[in-house]
Amino acid sequence: MNFTLLKHEVLATVKLFSIILAVLMLYIISIVYMYNPEMSNTLNKLTETMPELMSAFGMSNIGNTLIEFLSTYLYGFLLLILPLVFIIMSANKLIMGYIDNGSMAYLIATPNTRFKIVFTQAFFLVASIFILLSITTLVAILFSKILFPNELDLSAFLTLNIGLFFLHFAISGYCFFISCSSKDLRTSYAYSTGIPILFYLIQALSNMGGALGKLQYFTIYSLFSPEKLMTQDSSSIWMLGALFLIGMFCYMLAIRVFVKRDLYL
Amino acid sequence: MAIIEVNNLTKKFGDFYSVQNVALQIEKGEVFGFLGPNGAGKSTTIRHLMGFLQPTEGQCFIKGLDCRRSTAEIQKFVGYLPGEIAFIDKMTGQQFIKFIAQMRELNDLTRANELMQFFELNATGLIKKMSKGMKQKLGLICTFMHNPEIVILDEPTSGLDPLIQTKFIDFILAEKEKGTTIFMSSHIIEEIEKTCDRVAILNAGKIVATETIADLKKQKSKKFLIEFQSEQELSRFLGEQLKIKQIGPTQAIIKVQGNVQTLLHTLADYKINDLDIISQSLEDIFMHYYESGGKES
Repeated sequence: MNFTLLKHEVLATVKLFSIILAVLMLYIISIVYMYNPEMSNTLNKLTETMPELMSAFGMSNIGNTLIEFLSTYLYGFLLLILPLVFIIMSANKLIMGYIDNGSMAYLIATPNTRFKIVFTQAFFLVASIFILLSITTLVAILFSKILFPNELDLSAFLTLNIGLFFLHFAISGYCFFISCSSKDLRTSYAYSTGIPILFYLIQALSNMGGALGKLQYFTIYSLFSPEKLMTQDSSSIWMLGALFLIGMFCYMLAIRVFVKRDLYL
Repeated sequence: MAIIEVNNLTKKFGDFYSVQNVALQIEKGEVFGFLGPNGAGKSTTIRHLMGFLQPTEGQCFIKGLDCRRSTAEIQKFVGYLPGEIAFIDKMTGQQFIKFIAQMRELNDLTRANELMQFFELNATGLIKKMSKGMKQKLGLICTFMHNPEIVILDEPTSGLDPLIQTKFIDFILAEKEKGTTIFMSSHIIEEIEKTCDRVAILNAGKIVATETIADLKKQKSKKFLIEFQSEQELSRFLGEQLKIKQIGPTQAIIKVQGNVQTLLHTLADYKINDLDIISQSLEDIFMHYYESGGKES
């Protein structure tokens, strides 16, 4: 690991990180604030009037407890998409950004192996996602404790967030791999944005149920199931394992590809 | 043993050979020029030396270390100036110099400051707002600030104004005095002539010739463009025993190999308006080597 490079990346990413974090916190706080057992009745009525649309965004089952309420409103859309934006932008910048504009030449013309450079960048990406999700989790817990003491099932909520981290770990591995292996920045952005969005849309369609339900086997988002994680269902263990393996595999492949590839710098 | 060694280097992209059977031996302390038109494969060869590319065939060695396997080890004593000028745009020049120094674990910035003064670079501004020439200077500072034993420069003077180009030539000569081995590519003959001991000429991915500069100069012929005062003067001049090519009613090009004394003596008898020296282009040199190559085979 190269700490000079790590420090540089921290400074270069702090702006994007803060914006994403600020938006997430704003939503988390307002949604916790919105929680009100009576209020859910109104929302339930809304779901009854347009069930397909609401279920597409994973909002089919508005529970009566705080954690179910949070999982419905945050873990179906916001906490999937906003971290994804951060992942796509960072993953592309961390490797392909330098290759595409040519400044990678200066990085690897220093006495640091390519492995050291790419490992530093991968570490930075995983660490920043971990920190982002840790802060949002802490904020959600703190705010729930203040507004509704004893309402939140803490262990279920933590499991839910661990699942979310593993999901983003897997997706970031894929994006990082694309960043390391593409020929230019445009291709890299196209694949690293296109595939996750496509997966999300497939997930949305499969949520509508019926014949479309079969689509759940064609999207990575099926491996993140808030209901199963919250109930700590045994199948959630292998889902976490699968996400972890996908992520590790992608990161290892990405590092290998970057170390071996031809660079026109 | 040669300090930089390239053995039968071949790089193939699909069916196209970017470089083919390139072989070079550069000795310690030598300033070696690498001459060729754009797209001849100069940068491709240099990228192999830096370990950026995997050769299709052949190997490169710097101080006996394989350029592809010991890339990081080699960078400790090598300075590299990329052909493409690119930095991290959001930094200021000074921040970038400091950043690269730290990446090299170099704490002493005396040399960098010396170089900044020498090249008259004010690096306090954002790189994004710098001119091409300023960026090139910044690149040169990053190349030389750790006092490298071996320097690899890809088109070092592109973007520099003539004044700084002259300064750069002095700088290279000073580095040569210090014993630095320098490998530089260029498509400008004059620049290579003034600095290098030997030169390899590359065209379409193949080495056409490897010569000492003294030999190259002997091969070189000079061309003069002369404008006569009248057509009569020119037609009278056409009778002289010189290689003359008429290109206009009053203009002619004279090709001289070696001594220009005869031409000057002859010209003294004529009324001329103007005299220009046409600098020899790379193509002329290539034509020369192709012609001689053709005769031999």
